Amino acid sequence: MARMKFLCDAERCIECNGCVTACKNENEVPWGVNRRRVVTLDDGVPGEKSISVACMHCTDAPCAAVCPVDCFYTTDDGIVLHDKDLCIGCGYCFYACPFGAPQYPQKEAFGVRGKMDKCTFCAGGPLEDTSQAEFEKYGRNRIAEGKLPLCAEMCSTKALLAGDGDMVADIYRERVLARSGRPQTWGWEAAYGAKGYPVWPGGTRPRASPPKAREGK
Amino acid sequence: MKLIKKSDQPITGMEEKIRGVLGSAVGRRTFLKRTGLALGGGALATALPPAMMRRSQAQAKATATGEVVKKKSVCTHCSVGCGVVAEVQGGVWTGQEPDFDSPFNLGAHCAKGASVREHGHGERRLKYPMKKVGGKWQRISWDQAIEEIGDKCLEIRGEYGPDSVYWLGSAKFNNEQAYLFRKLAGMWGTNNVDHQARICHSTTVAGVANTWGYGAMTNSYNDMHNCKAMFFIGSNAAEAHPVSMQHVLRGKENGAKLIVVDPRFTRTAAHADQFIRLRPGSDVPLVWGMLWHIFENGWEDKEYISQRVFGMDEIRKEVAKWTPDVVEDVTGVPGEELKKAAQTMAENRPGTIVWCMGGTQHTIGNNNTRAYCVLQLALGNVGKSGGGANIFRGHDNVQGATDLGILSHTLPGYYGLADGSWQHWARVWDLDYDWVRGQFDTSYADLKSEGSKGDVELPFANPMNSAGFPVSRWIDGVLEDERNIDQRHNLKAMFFWGHAPNSQTRGPEMKKAMETLDMIVVVDPYPTHTAVLPDRDDGMYLLPACTQFETYGSVTASNRSLQWREQVIDPLFESLPDHTIMYKLAKKLGIGDQLCKNIQVNNDEPLIEDILREINRGMWTIGYTGQSPERLKLHLANKHTFNPTTLKAEGGPCDGDYYGLPWPSWGTPEMKHPGTPILYDTSKPVAEGGLNFRARFGVEYNGENLLAEGSYSKGAEIQDGYPEFTADMLKQLGWWDDLTEEEKVAAEGKNWKTDLSGGIQRVAIKHGCAPFGNAKARCIVWNFPDPVPIHREPLYTARRDLVEKYPTYEDRASHYRLPTRYASIQKDDYSGEYPLILTSGRLVEYEGGGEETRSNPWLAELQQEMFAEINPADANDRGIKDGQWIWLEGAEGAKIKVKAMVTDRVGRGVVFTPFHFGGWYEGKDLLDKYPEGCAPYVRGEACNTAFTYGYDSVTQMQETKATLCNIRAA
Amino acid sequence: MKTSKLALVMAVGLLTSGCSEANQVTVYEPGVYKGTKDDLLAKADSADYNEQMRQRFERGQTDRQTAVDSGN
Repeated sequence: MARMKFLCDAERCIECNGCVTACKNENEVPWGVNRRRVVTLDDGVPGEKSISVACMHCTDAPCAAVCPVDCFYTTDDGIVLHDKDLCIGCGYCFYACPFGAPQYPQKEAFGVRGKMDKCTFCAGGPLEDTSQAEFEKYGRNRIAEGKLPLCAEMCSTKALLAGDGDMVADIYRERVLARSGRPQTWGWEAAYGAKGYPVWPGGTRPRASPPKAREGK
Repeated sequence: MKLIKKSDQPITGMEEKIRGVLGSAVGRRTFLKRTGLALGGGALATALPPAMMRRSQAQAKATATGEVVKKKSVCTHCSVGCGVVAEVQGGVWTGQEPDFDSPFNLGAHCAKGASVREHGHGERRLKYPMKKVGGKWQRISWDQAIEEIGDKCLEIRGEYGPDSVYWLGSAKFNNEQAYLFRKLAGMWGTNNVDHQARICHSTTVAGVANTWGYGAMTNSYNDMHNCKAMFFIGSNAAEAHPVSMQHVLRGKENGAKLIVVDPRFTRTAAHADQFIRLRPGSDVPLVWGMLWHIFENGWEDKEYISQRVFGMDEIRKEVAKWTPDVVEDVTGVPGEELKKAAQTMAENRPGTIVWCMGGTQHTIGNNNTRAYCVLQLALGNVGKSGGGANIFRGHDNVQGATDLGILSHTLPGYYGLADGSWQHWARVWDLDYDWVRGQFDTSYADLKSEGSKGDVELPFANPMNSAGFPVSRWIDGVLEDERNIDQRHNLKAMFFWGHAPNSQTRGPEMKKAMETLDMIVVVDPYPTHTAVLPDRDDGMYLLPACTQFETYGSVTASNRSLQWREQVIDPLFESLPDHTIMYKLAKKLGIGDQLCKNIQVNNDEPLIEDILREINRGMWTIGYTGQSPERLKLHLANKHTFNPTTLKAEGGPCDGDYYGLPWPSWGTPEMKHPGTPILYDTSKPVAEGGLNFRARFGVEYNGENLLAEGSYSKGAEIQDGYPEFTADMLKQLGWWDDLTEEEKVAAEGKNWKTDLSGGIQRVAIKHGCAPFGNAKARCIVWNFPDPVPIHREPLYTARRDLVEKYPTYEDRASHYRLPTRYASIQKDDYSGEYPLILTSGRLVEYEGGGEETRSNPWLAELQQEMFAEINPADANDRGIKDGQWIWLEGAEGAKIKVKAMVTDRVGRGVVFTPFHFGGWYEGKDLLDKYPEGCAPYVRGEACNTAFTYGYDSVTQMQETKATLCNIRAA
Repeated sequence: MKTSKLALVMAVGLLTSGCSEANQVTVYEPGVYKGTKDDLLAKADSADYNEQMRQRFERGQTDRQTAVDSGN
């Protein structure tokens, strides 16, 4: 059985934000909620790298572990989803997530959070597959239609790969060989456990500062 | 309690890194998002009226009913030509799927392409015709609009002549609309017609066509898989042509070396093997600096040069002056860096060169483009797979709109404006030439007792034969003293038909010009910056045109391939297709019957297929003759049969064709020429897409042979150079009887460009020959101001020490009907007050003037504020902090208020601004001047407000890549 | 209860940051999902479905080198 994973090839990512608008388009995500983002390291100087980040659908997802209402579940092919009817918008999952994936629509004044929203790997939610209710609450269910997440399917340079983890790894491995470089599988170790993929060459670290609580939320 | 500690293994450093990235502001986007998010979101919520919200929601895909129909179109945001697959339900555009079958994008899109479904929402569109009355926008009917606008045009015509109405067209037209627009201007009787190509790649078209025959991209994006080296200069493909990077990076993974030359460390540079930062406006010295090493080391391709290149010795003389130390002084690039680049290019052949606006938008843009060509000729890279000059065009159909002649200096197909050119087109139009001629103003020399004595000889040519005002100078067409212009009167009315005025320089003068005109008509899906810039109470109309997703037709990608677009949805609101509006207006102006003489008109809509057939009947020069609607539709249906590297169909109904029949697709459609995937590639027969350099400049120059020597396309029966084909030449060769009897009648006295039967082309190709002859490419263009490309300092330069050695041109009394200033500007030193170099460029989220993309919430959210990139040193010198408001003042005194982005992306002394913003003017948001509900979500200062005077000496391209400015905290 | 859970999450985060070499990314075990059942869970079992997904992946995610057999 497939184990669905995302991988962003930083050597191919050009920060075009195609994945971001593809996601907005497909799931009609409102202004201010970003299920997917492209982040750039060393912006504007040699060594600049970009990667596209969203929910990575982790093995042993930390969000699920900290959820006080147990609204998360994992599909058989490894996609992490949640039930918005249960979600109380507490924000724990945001703090637990290594990728900053959970998003909260700003529905009311004074920082009251709405129900958490995040990337579903275009697999909708627990409502009836491909129903209107599912679409409105969770977005499109491409997985049920036999398709893959639109962000990856539309990636301008095929930097963002989505699909069975082994197939993704095969493609990536071929590219690394062709480039005779070192693999830089951003986020794989964090998301899926150590599988022998180094994360960043030479131990270079992006300029990091502690995560901030989101303003005004 | 479910929190069970499973192991002592700690969290890796990885997530800390990503958390850091997500939590801290890195990069331009995050930087801007922070300040803009609340504002943008709020603006969005308040700006959408409840009814709109409901309608928008009603269009959500899950609510639409009925069968899902798939429509295939092509993205309208750049020249890559990405296939778009739209899912439509009950007339509503409900979904967008990747077009995996397209050999151009293989399903991929950038931010713009992945969001085109928003065109089906169009909340901020101009919804019905409007008119400004007493300072307020008023809704009117189409009938009233056409009636009033037409009457005003006729009144102006009566009083001032046809040249006082300007027809500013668009690269957003499809091919058929572009052609019809140029024809409409011709029927009206003026050459005052132009479009964005003037300010985009006009210097490329002129420079390149004058070097080897055609002024277009020689190879294709896909062919870059085959490159061994790629040299980008003044092109930021990662933002301007994102999907092209799929091919570039595939090429790189195949082993190609990537060199990027730019004043900025661009997102493209981030993927380069070598990045070279040059001083803006020093392209010629940089290229000559590379050639210096190439000649010095004997790396040039001597056999290629002797067979296929004319005038390289003249280049050698100029290049000899550009020793490494001189080059370093002028460009700022150390000699070793250039030697390395030259060596990379020499050792990795074939290599390609890519350039864009960074090279073209200069007062010496035509010198730049020719220098690039010369570099490739010296290396023997042109006419080879993996080589060539891969000139990335801008708009989705700027190649097509250029080919179809929305240009003030030519008719469709680059036929020019000579009597013979008009006679050719009059025959194609099936109109009496004298009627066409009669539509134009007569010579007005007698009215010009004093004034210009320019390079147009007195008495003036008939206005029918003289190039009209270029779009870059329409401002001067309005404001310049009437005695100094080469036409009867100033401009009195302007059509802005798919044009963003914020893409043009000299903001204050443009505002004044807009306020001076008697009438302004905007025809566009959006109100545009034109609607809000001028302070005027009346005399303005806004007509809603629909987008290309609401109509259908053909579009030409940068690689010269034509793709057919299907109509995705019906025009939204009261909008109409451009060609329908053209016909309505023509009818009102009394030229509707002539405009569509052989074109079926249904309910005021000219039939697209008929227009394309008429194009096929006339465009012999560049081979737009083989691409019939039927063949293009066949390609559309069989996209998947084309190889994504060669673009050749492998089996299927299009077997052997190249995708989109890249021009030239010679002869008639029945001849089934497969198109030419790589120009001047002699390794294939002409009948199979091969070619050689064009014999365009005569057979000899100063007694020296210009024809090719010992080089010819595979299978050519003339195994040497030969001139272009004419009826007489066929007779001399004994090939005349290869023509059918019908063809003989049509071909008699004609040549390959004017024989409407296509017989001359057919017979030439039958004998393996290129209809346009076989000559050498030329390195010296003797009919240009600088025959050998040389360096000249920008008009506004901070390097005053170089002005004496590399001065600009003398002022010209008349060029494109206008006095054009050079030396009189450069003589003054502005560098004290304005010490910083100002340049401009693109952002991936927006296109052109940005009105359409800034009205798309999915894009607008990503880029919410206008900014200027400033080097930390320059910012510190002025006490400017990242993210604060600043005033940026151009050297002519216009100022814009923008956010500072302090970054090493730009070098010291250089300021960069994106050119997509509009809707502000000198610090003021013009929100209240938009018609209600039509303002883009994101507005900002147009950078071009601050850009200054300066025009290319051949094409009147505007200078927007090297001028001067200063900045201060606001 | 809620507060203490959050505090613990953050405390663990603090304790463990700065170390290296991990086999295990998370140190928690999720509770039992309490929401509505998702039909999607069963689907991944079907061989046909898995083959369809495999083909879809091949079609869209690879650097296609040749023309393809079938259209959209």
